Amino acid sequence: MRKRALRIRPFALTAGIAALACLFGAAAQAQQPICSAWLIESSRFMNVPFGSFMPDRTFVPGSTKPESNIPSVDLPVNVGVIKCGSELILYDTGWKQQDYLKMTGSDHWAPLADQLKALGFNAADVTKVVIGHAHWDHAGQLSDLPNAVLYVQREELKAIEWALNYPEPHIRAINSDPGSCNRTPACGYMPLTMEEVYGKVLKGKAVIVDGEAEILPGVRIHPAFRAHTAGSQLLEVPTSIGKLVFGSDAFSSYEGIRDWMTANVQQTDTVQQFLAYEKCYKITGGYNNCVSAHEPLSYTDKYPLTKNSWVALNGGRMAELTLAPGEKSRKP
Amino acid sequence: MPGGRSLLLAGVVSTLAAITGAAWLHEARPGSVVQSAAQTVSPQAGKLQPPALTADEERFATALWAVHREATRSAVTMSFAGITYQAEDRDARALARKIEPLAKFFHDAEMQVRAMSAPPSLSKTQVQYVGAMALYAGAAAEMLKFTEDGDSQRLGVAHEMDVRASEDMLRVGEVLWPGQYKPH
Repeated sequence: MRKRALRIRPFALTAGIAALACLFGAAAQAQQPICSAWLIESSRFMNVPFGSFMPDRTFVPGSTKPESNIPSVDLPVNVGVIKCGSELILYDTGWKQQDYLKMTGSDHWAPLADQLKALGFNAADVTKVVIGHAHWDHAGQLSDLPNAVLYVQREELKAIEWALNYPEPHIRAINSDPGSCNRTPACGYMPLTMEEVYGKVLKGKAVIVDGEAEILPGVRIHPAFRAHTAGSQLLEVPTSIGKLVFGSDAFSSYEGIRDWMTANVQQTDTVQQFLAYEKCYKITGGYNNCVSAHEPLSYTDKYPLTKNSWVALNGGRMAELTLAPGEKSRKP
Repeated sequence: MPGGRSLLLAGVVSTLAAITGAAWLHEARPGSVVQSAAQTVSPQAGKLQPPALTADEERFATALWAVHREATRSAVTMSFAGITYQAEDRDARALARKIEPLAKFFHDAEMQVRAMSAPPSLSKTQVQYVGAMALYAGAAAEMLKFTEDGDSQRLGVAHEMDVRASEDMLRVGEVLWPGQYKPH
């Protein structure tokens, strides 16, 4: 009798552990939502010389090589829209074209609030905004998202402040023409954009992130410092097609990630950009789920993740990247 | 002989046709490179080019640029002073130390731009820029008052002034330096 009880105990223990593991596993699964994701073309920079975007794709007149026979490209400014349960997250926010910022040579801009509406969302329902970095064409329109909490890296802010106080005027310059900055440390951080970032901080709606952070179960910010700017950050998102990683300008080009070519070198350490590419390969298991900010092939079959696309407001395009179980398509 | 003349004429016509064809091919070649829809040159590009400035306007733009380059930096520095105060140290004295030179800069810039001689075509632009500097100076003054009395509403007022000033500065930039911000 005693011997039998001893024999049962290990079995009961194993069964108990297995049951608990199942329970905790299910709970963890329930806590980690599967998210839906869309891509919005906030605007398009037209006719940009390919070589200024990707140095290894510089146009060579008369060349028949595919890497050097395209003179110019149109660069979309992509904004990620991510829905995880009741949370609505934006990754980057584009820029705002107004009478005071026409940006000659850009096209297809529409207000982000209107673009969200076209997808069936309300700008006031955006709960979180993660900016890949704080350049003017990625961190605009923040004031049009009144309830959203902004996530920005401390490293990004520190580096801008450092540059602003640098004695050499070219190094501390903000704007490009005439004869000022191009790829210097403070270049591209427009006063209006930084004032909007400050507006979020002032209203208590900003989280200044130090490195990695989980903003929702399974939705993780990864630092990609110097992969485009000093405090660039990626966003990992769990979806039904596997993990996506939104990269902003650390992943400016899908072809760049696929072919291991650097793209959109600004305040960039190209070594760190390649390490950011590698991070996406490691997290997602390849390059197809890496979401690029300016890939010219976006919204076409040649960038498969974004091929389920349509033309929306003012000629700007949108794509449905993936849907969570039960989430209805928002493609018209 | 008429047969020879016809032959000569046919030869000339053929040569001309060949030259025309070769020229057409030469001109058409860059456009015939196989490109995806997303990689074609937009017919709209260049459509909205602003008119070139006259010599007088160019002189004014150059003189104003010297102020503008430092004004943009000072504007961002002011935002950062606020960010640091809110997110880092909550040190009112440190905030005052950062804002005081900015208040002086914007006050001086307002006077300097007001004293500039702008061509009549840019008088509105000049007024706009003077207004932007005055708004920034006012915002700096509000922030300094906050460091004395601790009334946090002043920071909200200063922020609104800063936003309007930033927009006005961009309005001037659209006229004088439309390419001052590049795709980043």
